[in-house]
Amino acid sequence: MEKYKKIILGIESSCDETSAAVVRVKCQMSNVKCFEILSNIVLSQIDIHKKYGGVVPEVAARSHIKNILPVIQGALDEACVSQKDIDAIAVTNGPGLITSLMVGAETAKTLAYLWQKPIVAVNHLKAHIYAAWLQEAKSYKLKAISFPVLALVVSGGHTELVFMKNEKSFKKIGQTLDDAAGEVFDKVAKILDLGYPGGPIISKYAESGNPQAFAFPRPIMDSKDFNFSFSGLKTSVLYKVQEIKRQEQKKFQVSSFKFQENIAASFQQSVVDVLVYKTIKATQQYKVKTLIMGGGVAANKLLRQTMKSEAEKNGVPCIIPEIRLCTDNAAPIAVAGYFGKPIPWQKIDVDPGLDISEN
Amino acid sequence: MSSIITHSAQETIELGKRLASKLRGGEVICLYGNLGAGKTTLIKGIAQGLGVKKIVTSPTFILINVYKVKRQMSNVKCLIHIDCYRIDSARDIENIGAAEYFGNPNSVVVIEWPERIKDILPKKRMEIHIAMKGEGKREISINF
Repeated sequence: MEKYKKIILGIESSCDETSAAVVRVKCQMSNVKCFEILSNIVLSQIDIHKKYGGVVPEVAARSHIKNILPVIQGALDEACVSQKDIDAIAVTNGPGLITSLMVGAETAKTLAYLWQKPIVAVNHLKAHIYAAWLQEAKSYKLKAISFPVLALVVSGGHTELVFMKNEKSFKKIGQTLDDAAGEVFDKVAKILDLGYPGGPIISKYAESGNPQAFAFPRPIMDSKDFNFSFSGLKTSVLYKVQEIKRQEQKKFQVSSFKFQENIAASFQQSVVDVLVYKTIKATQQYKVKTLIMGGGVAANKLLRQTMKSEAEKNGVPCIIPEIRLCTDNAAPIAVAGYFGKPIPWQKIDVDPGLDISEN
Repeated sequence: MSSIITHSAQETIELGKRLASKLRGGEVICLYGNLGAGKTTLIKGIAQGLGVKKIVTSPTFILINVYKVKRQMSNVKCLIHIDCYRIDSARDIENIGAAEYFGNPNSVVVIEWPERIKDILPKKRMEIHIAMKGEGKREISINF
């Protein structure tokens, strides 16, 4: 059994989270792979960036530099392993902020050289999908993920539908034509003066709002392709907020009853409707056997519930990793490292605009 | 200065295409306008006009997108789309190497939210202001 044992150190720094994780391969039969998280340390910079209303690249890179070694040490300690137990290092090389990516990549390269370990460059978007393999391990049911798989990766920088005929093949079949879903959450939060990050705040306000209060558009929901568009929705919200404010000024009224809550709920419903509708349509057209959803926006409660119930209605098993594995963290990076091919550390290079079909 | 009214996103894209036909390489275009004004829409038009095949998406998250231009009869080899929405100082843009494209004869640079990096903007630049004039309607002023 020993020869199957594989311990991977994952390192992630593509945006504003510094993270390191130690993941152990528990079993690796031809059709079932399962992984155990020995440690997963995530140091978020959200509090630092809050006052700026968004991630500030220069500040992000500086905090990554300061935190990355303690975070890696913390991950090794918590997993009760030392460098000699590590079989491979996996690191995100894109997409993301170049200055942030470089901190993780250069650190990983240095460790690979120093410890003489194989190193794998990981596409961050693929890792969001591989998070599903961690979920399987947790349920203790050694059930294989059946292929083909359709995956929705939905985050602050991306909204993509990906078709996988096996665990190493990624074909993008649709994407946003303008803003990513997470980005409109941030921008709508800004329009409503709710602060940053937008995702959690919007869904909190939405909880006590009426999703039918405003009829916002469901952009390109009926188009034949699997692309998304959220920029026009953002503009519709802006028009509505401006209209309400103008009326308030005229009538010398204070804020309309629950106006922010209702806008938040109606906006969120629009995004969820479009994401779920197109994703389910793609599962039917591509006749997939499993649906996976990952990325930071997959932490949204309404999206999780709706996607799951619609997939079930259509008879497609749906895996959505638990929330802490949807947002940026290094555990899925380590899993992706298992599936990826090691390359000489000298050849590891970051690519801020890396596509999911590459690498 | 010229000022044009467009009545839909499609018209804004068409304007971007017409603008692209006048670009020769080395231009830095600063694009001003609020959230939802249609900055990315105009850039989609410019990209189409230049012959960019990839889908132009918002670079808010990664700050800069580089698109290859496949147009013969022109010097323009790439379109650089920069978004300063999230950044705090001009140094951020310098750190990611974006400023190196300014004035490069083989590239056209388009900058959203340029007011945030005004210290490092080149003197020779084109300025475009997009103002929202009600639903769908935009006033686009171009300053060469």
